[in-house]
Amino acid sequence: MKRNLGKILKLFIALSFVLLSAEDFTYDFHLDKQDPYLKEPVILTLDLKQTNHNIVLLFNFDLRKSDDYLFQRIDTKETDSHHNTQIHYVYLIYPLKSGEIKLSFDLMKKVTTDDSVAYSFSGDRDNIKGLVTTDTKITLPPLSLKVKELPRNTTLIGDFKLTHKFKKTKAEAYEPIPFEVKIEGSGYPPLLENLLPKNMDFTLFQENPIVKSRHSTQGTKSSVIYPMALSSENSFDLNPITIKAFNPKSMKSYTLTIPKQHFTISKVDVNTLVDKTDHPKPLRSDWSGFSSLLSYLVIFAAGYLTALSVKWGKKTLAQTEDPFKEKIENCNDERSLLQLLMSIDSKKFATDIEILENALYGNAKINFKKVKQELLEKL
Amino acid sequence: MNEKIIQLKRELSKAVIGQETMIEGLLIGLLSDGHILIEGVPGLAKTTTINALAKALGLDFKRIQFTPDLLPSDIIGAQIYNPQDHSFSIKKGPLFTNLLLADEINRAPAKVQSALLEVMQERQVTIADETFKIDSPFLVMATQNPIEQEGVYALPEAQLDRFMMKIVVKHNSEEEELEIMRKGASKSFEEVKKVLSIEELHTLQNELGSIHIDKELEHYIIQLISATRDPAKFGLENLSQNIMFGVSPRASIDLYKAAKAKAFLRGNTFVTPADIGYVVHDVFRHRIVLSYEARAKGINADEIISKIVETLPIP
Repeated sequence: MKRNLGKILKLFIALSFVLLSAEDFTYDFHLDKQDPYLKEPVILTLDLKQTNHNIVLLFNFDLRKSDDYLFQRIDTKETDSHHNTQIHYVYLIYPLKSGEIKLSFDLMKKVTTDDSVAYSFSGDRDNIKGLVTTDTKITLPPLSLKVKELPRNTTLIGDFKLTHKFKKTKAEAYEPIPFEVKIEGSGYPPLLENLLPKNMDFTLFQENPIVKSRHSTQGTKSSVIYPMALSSENSFDLNPITIKAFNPKSMKSYTLTIPKQHFTISKVDVNTLVDKTDHPKPLRSDWSGFSSLLSYLVIFAAGYLTALSVKWGKKTLAQTEDPFKEKIENCNDERSLLQLLMSIDSKKFATDIEILENALYGNAKINFKKVKQELLEKL
Repeated sequence: MNEKIIQLKRELSKAVIGQETMIEGLLIGLLSDGHILIEGVPGLAKTTTINALAKALGLDFKRIQFTPDLLPSDIIGAQIYNPQDHSFSIKKGPLFTNLLLADEINRAPAKVQSALLEVMQERQVTIADETFKIDSPFLVMATQNPIEQEGVYALPEAQLDRFMMKIVVKHNSEEEELEIMRKGASKSFEEVKKVLSIEELHTLQNELGSIHIDKELEHYIIQLISATRDPAKFGLENLSQNIMFGVSPRASIDLYKAAKAKAFLRGNTFVTPADIGYVVHDVFRHRIVLSYEARAKGINADEIISKIVETLPIP
């Protein structure tokens, strides 16, 4: 019996070792705090380290989405030394629920070979092959956070300051008065649904807030601007606004305040705005129709004159002497005339060329002027 | 004019009405062993003319219609494998003829046009490793559509240079057109008869050698040639920017031969400057390579040639 127990124990130890070594890597979670306040930033780090250096190991890791918390990956550092993958992840987490919450993870281990990696990077851009990997889903135990409740009526969590700006405090009836509130600081982004209380004796116009946020290991630095405008028929007061905030670092509550403000609204005589005359005379004469007509006439005249100018141009060309005729007239002897006729690639002057040739090279006598005249008549 | 030439022209006029320029060009090519390139729109009796010339001379005539998918072997011939005795035999192409009509030569790409280079210059064809001599006379009359038409390839300069003359064929006059219409409708074109044997043609070609050309005219030809290459030297500075390349040495040989043939056809025993003037446009127009500026300005080679002839003093 003892022998059997010993064998079972040895087998269990051997099996545990196999199971552990089959993971091929180690992981190390770290939370900067275990018991944060609600919406207080928590930094989670994870280090994945390859232990089996005979394989090529890749990871896919992320936090699982949940209504209990918000998260943002703010940093990833990967050491891709040969067969020794080491990845360092940094997450910023905001718990959204008090009490105990569980942070769950998705981790995929991807094993591949050197050949596959080399192949995936070879070839031209039309010949890239997907990396072939053997994927194994790794179940990581969830991490617990014991989230503390906030002091009552707390609206903002973090270290914030509030500034506000009225463009004017005196206006005419129904004239909009621009009003801007800016909350900036570090902590959970200060997005408020209703900054001003409802049922006030003025009309409130508001745009979507302008949000700028930057996440880091120190938390989130935010700046939120609420652009608004106030309008009323009568003078009114903007009652003081108080926003309760809590700073988890100092564990102290504080208030952000907009003090009471009076707005003086002057009345406008509405009667002067109403037009009581039927078919009133125009304030000034409307010459636009005349100027349009004039511009059409100018355009028409320009087009007409352009067309005429083409016609004039043609007439001028027609009136110009034929340059060839002019050249013939300028010829003083048989030789120059023969040369001129030779330059024209036309059989039309074959007879004239023959006459001139006979005169030049065959001692025939010709009437040069007559030859020229006949040529000009031909043209 | 030589009696045989008159007979030949008379026979040709039975089938072709008008087109004296083309007929004259063909005769010049035939007598001086040159090839003719004819540019013109379809329907101007190009095929009819060369066919009539072949009949009048009793020569072999073949026609190749150049198309974009034509291959060099379709023209020159190819080696054919005979599976019965496992041997190769030569199948000669249509080049093996006396008068060859290369119809619409610029419809085929340059590689096919270039298949004619060897035969036009050397009068021989090489198929595989065997070279065949072409029987004399051998005249290539190529026709091309104006380059502005669609689906045409410009002929390479080396190919163009092998044509002795480029003749631009124009439409017939109204009187000629009327006669063509009447004869065509009534099919009353007379049959062309053989009026000249090959021996007689060779005799005419030999007679061409006895046509005298004065040294001054030889010098004039050289001046015309030089003026296309260096116009500024002859006081034609404004032409320099319009000419990219002047004419080649083949042009001087062809102008010399063509002027002699022209004089012969005119019935003279010596060449006059007018004979040179008659052929200079046809010999030069396809050999002058125009510059971009000239093409942009719409200047053509004929205008440049006219300017050169007008400027250089005749002897």
